[in-house]
Amino acid sequence: MDPSFSKRGMKVLGVSLLVYALLVAPHQGEFWPLSIYPMFSQAGNPWTRAMILDVTNKPDADLWERQPLNSRESDVVAVSDYGVDQIDFSNFVVKTQNWTQTRQKALKDMFGTSAIENERWMVSKVRGELIGSDSVSIEITPFILLTPDSTYLNPNLQAEVYGGTD
Amino acid sequence: MTWYEKIGVQLFEPNRDQSPGEVVFFKFFELFIVYYTIKFAWDWGIYTELRNNEVVLSLGLAKYIDISIFFDNQLAIINAAFITLLSIMSYLRFGFKWQYMVVMILLHVQYVARFSQGEIPHSQNLIGMAVFCFAIGAIFFPDKKKMPRFVMGSIIFFIGLGYTSAFFAKLVGTGLTWFDGRHLWLWIGEKSIDILSREGVWEPNFLQSMALKSTIVASIILLIGWFTELIGFTMWFKKIRPFTTMMLIGMHIGITMTMNIRFDAFVMQLILVGFPWYILLDRYIKTTPELLKKIL
Repeated sequence: MDPSFSKRGMKVLGVSLLVYALLVAPHQGEFWPLSIYPMFSQAGNPWTRAMILDVTNKPDADLWERQPLNSRESDVVAVSDYGVDQIDFSNFVVKTQNWTQTRQKALKDMFGTSAIENERWMVSKVRGELIGSDSVSIEITPFILLTPDSTYLNPNLQAEVYGGTD
Repeated sequence: MTWYEKIGVQLFEPNRDQSPGEVVFFKFFELFIVYYTIKFAWDWGIYTELRNNEVVLSLGLAKYIDISIFFDNQLAIINAAFITLLSIMSYLRFGFKWQYMVVMILLHVQYVARFSQGEIPHSQNLIGMAVFCFAIGAIFFPDKKKMPRFVMGSIIFFIGLGYTSAFFAKLVGTGLTWFDGRHLWLWIGEKSIDILSREGVWEPNFLQSMALKSTIVASIILLIGWFTELIGFTMWFKKIRPFTTMMLIGMHIGITMTMNIRFDAFVMQLILVGFPWYILLDRYIKTTPELLKKIL
């Protein structure tokens, strides 16, 4: 193989690297498959994820109460049973700014139009944070109630939490 | 010889002639990449068609086009079909030398349509990077001997760069305290919610239990992982490459055990590119099969 090949190879790599940098720089480090791999780069910050609790048998008076993860009374609905990616579901709940009627319906439709038949599902936000020097607190906040016919927002949360709903 | 020319020699090995084992390995590796390209295209396409309703996060080209058009009209499925056709044609060297670049762009569109829901996964990045390297290699080095060598060398270059980049992203994002074990506690808690949400149940495994009981154990786990990322670039050097690869694979097993994040294709690809498999194959294969010569 001619010896100038590796030299030319490095030049092509250099140009590719320049294109790489020009694409990831204005896109927050991500232009798939090009990436600066920033995952887990900011350690120690509180996080928020989402899960669904089956609250079909829970008394209405207790529906909207916050609770620590370890003392929750309701079963968790496994979203994989409905073909839903749990990360997608979590991001959809956590990153949505404006909970319009359309967005609430999209959340429900994610599980299929007839997934909820006789149940009540509580879409909940789960927040974790470091407490003091030696423990992690994980708390569940009820967020949106899904029923066969409708969706309901948590009356105990301020309207701003749901953004501009229509 | 300049420093970058020395790295070029390590990556592309211009002084080594092409052997039958190298050709057989390269076409097997290309088949592996084409298989996963097609698999991802269909997995993402079908999910997009069935599940995506609203754009939550616009990634890449989705910042400039309305990617929600891929949620209906079977467009994600049609895109998957095009990716499949062009990938197979490219593998068989039937068509034009820029076809892999088209596959790359279509796969990017498929990714940003599928992952417009907020998640930015990286477990498929290595397959995407390989397609990127095949695209560059096919355009700039169409020669049957140079293309395989450039493609493999450039993939190794970008893998090494990616891991070391991840180390520095953590150093800049958090600082030297990144490996504080309590950070791992938070991540284990976060990932436990993902598993709980997915499966309905979650129990810590042995390694997670050990990490959750002791900040020292958790800190050591993070420190080993972080150091392994730092030395990722040593994959560029031929003699060190297998050892670095083994450490990286070990790190991924550790990530899977502590944070339940699986990188199946990623690890398989590391196993394929990190070791000189052609040496083993050359023991048993003495001549290059005619069919492979045609589609090299």
